[in-house]
Amino acid sequence: MIVSKAFWKIVLKNIGSIILPTVILLMFGTISVTSVDSTAQYEARKPALVIFNHDENVGLTKNFIEYLEENATIKTGYEDDDRLKDALFYEEVTAVIEIPENFHQDMALGHDPEVKMRSSAGYVAELAKVAVRRYLSVAKGYSALHLSEQELVAKVDKAIANGVKTEMKAAVDTSKYAKASRYYSFANYTILSCFITIICLIMSAFNREQVRKRNLVGAIDIKKMNRILLRNCCIYVLAAWVFYVVISVFVLGVEVVFTAQGALYAVNSLVFAACATTIAYLISIFALSAGAVNGLQNVLALGTSFLCGAFVPAEYLPDSVLAFAHVLPSYYYIDANDKIMKIQQFDAATMVPILLEIAVVAGFCVLFVALANIISKKRQRIA
Amino acid sequence: MFWHNYKYALKALLKNRMLVFWTMIFPFALAMMFHLAFSRLHDYDVFEPFNVAVVNDEAYKNEKVFSEAFKTLGEGDNKLFNIEYVNKERAEELLENGDVDGYVYVSDGKKIVKIKENGTNQTVLTMTTEQVAQSAKMIDDIAMTEMAKSAGQQVDVEAIYRDAVKTVTGAEPNLKDESHVMNIVSVEFYSLIAMACMQGAMLSCEMMNRCMPNISNRGKRVAIAPTRKGIIVASNLLAGYTMLFTAVIALIFFTRIVLGVEYGDNIPSICLLAAVGGLAATMLGMFLSVILKTRESAKNIIIVIVTMVGSLFAGMFGVTKMFFDELAPLVNKVSPVGLITDGFYSLYYYEDATRFIVNVVSLIVVSALLFAFSIRSLRRQRYDSI
Repeated sequence: MIVSKAFWKIVLKNIGSIILPTVILLMFGTISVTSVDSTAQYEARKPALVIFNHDENVGLTKNFIEYLEENATIKTGYEDDDRLKDALFYEEVTAVIEIPENFHQDMALGHDPEVKMRSSAGYVAELAKVAVRRYLSVAKGYSALHLSEQELVAKVDKAIANGVKTEMKAAVDTSKYAKASRYYSFANYTILSCFITIICLIMSAFNREQVRKRNLVGAIDIKKMNRILLRNCCIYVLAAWVFYVVISVFVLGVEVVFTAQGALYAVNSLVFAACATTIAYLISIFALSAGAVNGLQNVLALGTSFLCGAFVPAEYLPDSVLAFAHVLPSYYYIDANDKIMKIQQFDAATMVPILLEIAVVAGFCVLFVALANIISKKRQRIA
Repeated sequence: MFWHNYKYALKALLKNRMLVFWTMIFPFALAMMFHLAFSRLHDYDVFEPFNVAVVNDEAYKNEKVFSEAFKTLGEGDNKLFNIEYVNKERAEELLENGDVDGYVYVSDGKKIVKIKENGTNQTVLTMTTEQVAQSAKMIDDIAMTEMAKSAGQQVDVEAIYRDAVKTVTGAEPNLKDESHVMNIVSVEFYSLIAMACMQGAMLSCEMMNRCMPNISNRGKRVAIAPTRKGIIVASNLLAGYTMLFTAVIALIFFTRIVLGVEYGDNIPSICLLAAVGGLAATMLGMFLSVILKTRESAKNIIIVIVTMVGSLFAGMFGVTKMFFDELAPLVNKVSPVGLITDGFYSLYYYEDATRFIVNVVSLIVVSALLFAFSIRSLRRQRYDSI
C-alpha cells in the first residue's frame, strides 16, 4: 500500500507532464485531420484560387471564371494584401488570378490580353498554372479563326469538354482511416513523452542509491516491492492507453474506431505503449535526476517523431533519414499505421506485413528488457 | 559590485548542466531534427518524371494526332512521363503492382486514364492527357474549318494540318507570372528560434529564484546581505540574458550557415529581433517567477507550458500560424513566441519593414509591461517570519 501510494503521489506531482502532450495530441487530432482525399472515385487535386476580375462578368470572361470554378476551389475575402500574401505563403491559397479590363473583347478580337498570376510554391500551384494555361491556350487557338465571341465561347466549351474519362481501380474509400493513421502516428510523441517521464521519475526515485539502500533493509521484501511497482506501472500504462483510445472516439468518430481497422490501430498502439514502457524501464536503471529525465524524454520523443514520420509523413522524409529510422521502434509503429490505412480487404497479403511490424515492435520490447536486466545486474555488482 | 555579482551569476549558470542543456544544446539538436525531417518538404515540389503505361493497341494507333503528341511527353530532357507501351493485361498488372501511377488507353474513340488512387501524379497524368486530347481536337477543328472555307477547291490537306498544328502549338497564352515563391519550411525554424529565445524565461526564473527569500536559502541570504537588492536582481538577470543572447545568436548563425535557413540579408535586424525577443522572454520569466508563489519545479513546468503553447500557436507543430491567427487573433499578437516568429517571417517575406517594426515594438511593449508588473510585486517585500 505504501509503495502504491508513493507511486501515485509521484504521478500526481508530475501531472503537467501528462497533460501537456495529451492536449497537444488532442489539438493535433482535431485540427490537422480535416482535409483528406477520398480514394473511392477520382478527384483531381483542386487548387485554391482567388480571382480578381477587372472585366465585366460576361461572355468569355464569364466562361473563364466558370471554368476556374469547376476546376478549382474559389476563395473569397482576401482583399487585404497582407492576408493574401500570408495565405499564399502558408499555401492556403494556391494562386491569385487577375483578369484585366476588356478581357473578353480583346480575346475575341484575337488580341492577346495579359492575365496576371501569383502563386505559392508547390505542385498544386503548378497544376493551377496548367489549368489556367489550358483555357487561355484553347481560347487563343480558336481566336485565330476570327469567330464571334459567342462562337468562340461555344468552341472553347466544346474543346474543354472533350475531356478524358478517368477510371479508378480502388473500390474502397480509405480516406477516413487516413485521419486515424495521422492521429495514431502523432500519438508516438504523446505515448513516449507521458510514459518515459512518469515511469522514469518513479523508478528513478526508487532506484536512487540512498532510497534503494533504505528499501533493502526495510520491512517490505524488495521483490514484492518490485512486483507492486510493476503492477502499478501496468495500471498507469493501460489507463493512459485506454484514455487515448477513448479520445480517438471523439476525434475520429465511432465509424472509424469501432471497425476492424480501428481495432488494429488500437492493438498496434498498445504494443507500442508496452515498448515505450520498456524504454522507460531501461532509462530508469540509471536513476537520472528529474531534469535529466525531462531532457532525455524530449530528445527521444521529439527525435523519433521527427525522424520516423509522426510529424511529417514518411513519404516526405529523405531516404537517408528513413534508412536510419529502421533501427527505431517508432518507425515500425508508424509504418504499421500507414499500412492499416491502406487495407482494402483482410487477407494474408495485407495482414502479414502489418502483423510483422507489430511483432518487430514487440521484439524491441524484449530487447529493451534484456538490455535493462544486463545493465541492472552489472550495476548491482558494481554497487 | 554589479559586475562582481554578474561574473559569479554567469559562472553559476554555466555550471548548471540542465540550463546549459536546454539553452545551448537542445535547440541545436532540434534544429538538426528539423533539418533532417523538413529537408525534402520544399524539394518534393521539384518535378520528376513518373511511370505511366500506354495500351498500344489498334484503337490507340488509329488516334494519330493524339498518339504522336502523347509520345513527345515521354521524350527529351524535360519529359513528363516514363512511358511503357504494353497490352491491356500487362497495364493492369503494372498498375496493380504500383509500377505505374496510371495507364492510358483508347476505347470507342474515347481517351481513358485508369488510376489506382488519388494523388498528384494521377492528377498530372489526367490533366496532361486532357490537354493532349484537347490539342488534337483543336487541330482537327481548325483544319476542318480551313478546309470548309476552301470547299470546292483542291486543297493540300497535309499543309492545312501543318498550319493547324502550328496555330495550336503557337497559342502560348499571355500569362504573366508574378509569383514570389518562398520556402515555407523556414517558418518552422523561425518558431524554433522563438522557442530558443523563450528559454530565457527559464534562465531568468532561475536567477530570480536565487534572489527570493521565500523560494531558496540563497534568496534568504541575499535578502539580508548589505548589497542593494536591485543590483543583485539586475546583475543576475543580465547574466541570464547574456547566456541566452549568445546561444540564440549562435543558433541563428548555425541554422543560417550550416543548415542553409533563409532569414533575408538584413543581419542587424535579425540580431535586433533576437535581442528584443530574448528580452521579452527574460521579462516573462521574471514576471512568472515573481507572481507565482509556488515551488521552483512548478514554476518551470508553467514556463514550459507557456512556451509550448506559444510554439504551437506560432506553427511549430505542423498546424500553420495563419490557422491560429484566424482562430484566436489576439494570442500571436501578445505571445512573445508568436511575435518573434512573425518578426523573422516578415523579415524574410515582406519587402516593407512595417510589419517587422510592429513586431519589435510589440515585443518591447510586452517586455516593459512584464517588467513593470514584476517590479511592482518585488518592491518593499518584507517578511516577519520565513
